[in-house]
Amino acid sequence: MVFLPDESRSLPPPPLLNKGTVWLGFAGWMSALMDNAFNQRPIFGAGIHRQVLLATLGCFVGYHLVKRAEYMHAKVDRELFEYIRHHPADFQPKGT
Amino acid sequence: MAAGLRAVRRWGLVAAPPSLAFTRSAFAVKKANNAQPNWLGVGLAFGTSAALWALLIKQHNEDVMEYERRKAHKCKQCS
Repeated sequence: MVFLPDESRSLPPPPLLNKGTVWLGFAGWMSALMDNAFNQRPIFGAGIHRQVLLATLGCFVGYHLVKRAEYMHAKVDRELFEYIRHHPADFQPKGT
Repeated sequence: MAAGLRAVRRWGLVAAPPSLAFTRSAFAVKKANNAQPNWLGVGLAFGTSAALWALLIKQHNEDVMEYERRKAHKCKQCS
């Protein structure tokens, strides 16, 4: 099971700043801040390298997850429209 | 990162934790010294972050180029 099949590259790629990268990057940053809190370090000032690394990791994972999600949605849409195309009788407007 | 790993080890060491889950036996674990930076860890973390950003931006640019290429060629062999 491939994470991103080749045909997913025919889709427009999501922008670098998207829901996934922002949210997961934020979540990564938060987990670094929580790690600081649990180890009784200054929350924002300590472990900047950790905050940067976890935020980066979140953005990276988020970007690829968004690409996969967009591919899955596009695939389902394509199958839906193909079905509609093959069964026009079922999709006439009401009354005709 | 290192402190997180220490926390995991801590949980493994404490069989029945008291109300505060982050206590640990002083006999088993070295005391964390936050005053002296672990420069190797810092360097690795920043280096890895830089590499990940470079990888991400490169991947994004490749994706954009590939999409434009397929759109322009109206690729018959691509889907």
